[in-house]
Amino acid sequence: MPVTILAPKAMRQDYGQADKQNISDDSDDADSSNGGAELDYAELAKADAEGHTHKRPRIAGGDFEIVTPGEVITDDPQWMRGHGTYVAAGTTSIISSVAGTITRTNKLLSVRPLRARYTPEVGDLVVGRIVEVQAKRWRVDVGATQLASLPLSAINLPGGILRKRTETDELQIRTFFAEGDLLVAEVQQLFQDGGAVLHTRSLKYGKLRNGMFVAVSGMGGGGGVVRSRRQVWTLEAASGGGPIDVVLGVNGYVWISKHVETPEGLVEKTSGITNLDESVSATMYSSQNDRIGPETMREIARIRGVVTALVDNGLRVDEDMVMRGYHEAVEMAMVSSVGADDIYLGGERGEQLAAVLTAV
Amino acid sequence: MPREIEPSLNEKQFVLQALQEKFRLDGRQFDQYRPLELTFGDQYGVADVAFGKTKILAKASAEVTVPYADRPLDGVFAIATELSPMASPAFEVNRPTETEVLLSRLLEKTVRRSGALDTESLCLVAGQKCWSIRVDVHVLSHDGNLIDTACFAVVAALRHFRKPDTSVEGGILTVYTPAEREPVPLSWLHSPFCVTWSFYGDRGEIAVLDATWTEEQIRVASCTISLNRHGEICQISKLGGTPVEAVALLQCTSIALTKAKDFSVFLDKKLAEDTKKRNIGGFMAELRSENDR
Amino acid sequence: MPLDTSAYSLALLRVDGRRWNELRRMHAQIRTQAAADGSSYLEMGHTKVMCVVTGPSEPGPRRSAVGASGGTGVGGGSGEAAQAEVAVSIVIAGFSSVDRKRTARGDKRILEMQSTISNALAGSLHTHLYPHSAINISLHVLSQDGSLLAALINAATLACVDAGIPMTDYVAACTAGSTSTYAAGDEAADPLLDLNQQEEQELPGLTVATLGESDRVAVLVCESRVQVSRLEGMLAVAVDGCKQVREILDRVVRDKGRRMVQEGTIEKGVGVNDMEID
Repeated sequence: MPVTILAPKAMRQDYGQADKQNISDDSDDADSSNGGAELDYAELAKADAEGHTHKRPRIAGGDFEIVTPGEVITDDPQWMRGHGTYVAAGTTSIISSVAGTITRTNKLLSVRPLRARYTPEVGDLVVGRIVEVQAKRWRVDVGATQLASLPLSAINLPGGILRKRTETDELQIRTFFAEGDLLVAEVQQLFQDGGAVLHTRSLKYGKLRNGMFVAVSGMGGGGGVVRSRRQVWTLEAASGGGPIDVVLGVNGYVWISKHVETPEGLVEKTSGITNLDESVSATMYSSQNDRIGPETMREIARIRGVVTALVDNGLRVDEDMVMRGYHEAVEMAMVSSVGADDIYLGGERGEQLAAVLTAV
Repeated sequence: MPREIEPSLNEKQFVLQALQEKFRLDGRQFDQYRPLELTFGDQYGVADVAFGKTKILAKASAEVTVPYADRPLDGVFAIATELSPMASPAFEVNRPTETEVLLSRLLEKTVRRSGALDTESLCLVAGQKCWSIRVDVHVLSHDGNLIDTACFAVVAALRHFRKPDTSVEGGILTVYTPAEREPVPLSWLHSPFCVTWSFYGDRGEIAVLDATWTEEQIRVASCTISLNRHGEICQISKLGGTPVEAVALLQCTSIALTKAKDFSVFLDKKLAEDTKKRNIGGFMAELRSENDR
Repeated sequence: MPLDTSAYSLALLRVDGRRWNELRRMHAQIRTQAAADGSSYLEMGHTKVMCVVTGPSEPGPRRSAVGASGGTGVGGGSGEAAQAEVAVSIVIAGFSSVDRKRTARGDKRILEMQSTISNALAGSLHTHLYPHSAINISLHVLSQDGSLLAALINAATLACVDAGIPMTDYVAACTAGSTSTYAAGDEAADPLLDLNQQEEQELPGLTVATLGESDRVAVLVCESRVQVSRLEGMLAVAVDGCKQVREILDRVVRDKGRRMVQEGTIEKGVGVNDMEID
């Protein structure tokens, strides 16, 4: 059915006669009435005949190829649609549903959004916060569209790594994790609806303490943490800060803490499985911080400054960038008048840091 | 709050498929209303309207109050809607649901803001005394299309209503009882009627009038158009939902206009019948000295 | 203060110097709030609104507030479980209009607008991708000068694009009016695009939101008395205005995306034209 919306009629002619000086306005307005709501019937009718989405000329941003919602990516039926796209009913054209850049994997076309919430994938290392404790599981905020769940059976229970969970454990579920606790975990599986199930069945994972939490945007685009080879590493801090652990959760949650001897280290020292169990159980679910020296705290804060400066300036956050940024920040502090205590990395100083990092 | 039970997937598909085959479950045409029933109460200003199983009672009442300070020359006119659990268990007392908010806004826009009632005529003594007209809308039974029914009921009740006659002499306001002086009708300017379209299909291409509750639950969009018989739009509201072609909406509007004219004729006829019934024998009957005893 | 429309018939210029088919200056930004999932700031003339989108995320404990789709609204459909709920809240700043007054908590006009925006966006957003979750849209009105609902819809759309929530297309909105009053049956009345506050109070007008570049109308709200014959012209102008608005919104998003690619925040995409199947 062709559109029959009438174009507004041409402007009145009678007023010009009333006042001769208006004649000049007259011609002006005649021009402008061309620019308005006159619909191109022929084109619309044609588009209707072809199907409802009339193909529009590609206006995509030159070499950058940004697509926006509603933009037809291709009419070619040989492509398959991936995330960030949809196929309009009754046609074969693949249309973008988000604003972002196109990626393709063989025949699969998908659009990576400029920014989106974290979408969990199996094997992701995430940092999360417990928001709810239920009978046999915890609900963990990992920055995704839904809360992730951590079943009681998917954590390391104290007193033996491969112990079966008992009713006693269920009753004292809060002694392991309580509301507000931070933890590092891995995505074990995904539900159909996109919900994630986590596990901490490794000595690498578990409760977090002795440090600070920073939230930046995660996977899904728009800077922030990117998936990389190594998400967790220990660095030797400058000016007597001692070793510091950095955990970059793929979900954009970052944990920076004082390095404590890992249980693996303990294994070497004690060389006995039974001793390990006890030492692990003693510290694994502790909510007490160890003593942290002021130098360490200062360096932790400096790393946090680096991370936020990276995010503020739209740079990706990974091991390489954080390490380089950190060394740069230390150098910047050296030349500053305050000395090593100058940990401020906001505003101009952040931009300066970012400029140095991008220059290389 | 007990949630409204939703129709099952099969049920939805059944209704939708039927609609696609140009068939409605109750055998009506797409642009056909259910049988309209209108009864006036014994009192002035009570109207009971039913579209099929949807039944709404509206009662108009008047009292003398002080006008609002910022509008000393206007009377007070309010429409109160109450969706009680009587109509559906999903409605709760004292907690307006979205349906109720939208209904009362629609009535407000259709009847009040369009100036159907001349509020200036309600003024008795400027800045001191005025009539306050209030219409209470009670949903007695809910089977879809509350808006059209409620609007019709409100308009019918207000047009049927008679307020006591008054006079002002030497600054003294007198309100006469019906025995002293015949009550007078409100100063009514035009009668707007709501016509609600429900849309179905992925692109909203199927348009249906006067949806039943089941049909209402599965519609993808709706559009309420309020018009009077002079062809004036008082209000249109298509509040979101699946987008519908602009041309289709224009067609809906023109059909709505014919429906509004039908409603107008129907209401005029019913009002005339009622007046006749109340006034058997006319003036002569009152003058007679004999009575029934 | 009554609107002086006498000048219009002489010079065909409106009170603010525009012609009948001109939009006011429109300015928009996205990603204004770092903490939000998506955010936008939009000006249509002197109407200024901000929008913050949170989600899709786990719905909070308070549910089925008025304005949340999914219940009785047309946009929601079956239950909250199968698709995300779109909840909209509007805050109108006390200083936003000339007379400084507080808006009541349960103002039905605001509730209606919330419900409208929620249903309009639910019609475009792919809510079925996010079961058991909620998309919270919070709108703040900083300054009012007509076309408020249109500005709110546009800001909400932009913020949803920024939040990376998949949608069928932009929902772009604008208003149109007519120079005739309802009483006058004058056939010579012109339609007007994008009403400001004065025009909105004096002239009949409607708010239209369309989906993308199509002529499909998601929202059509008319709150004033107007002849049926006027509707067609007003609707045509408004639909055309929506397309212009869509272009403006699209440009904002593209500019932002381009800048992000330039800064290296996101990887460059592949061009469609140079894609070949291996």
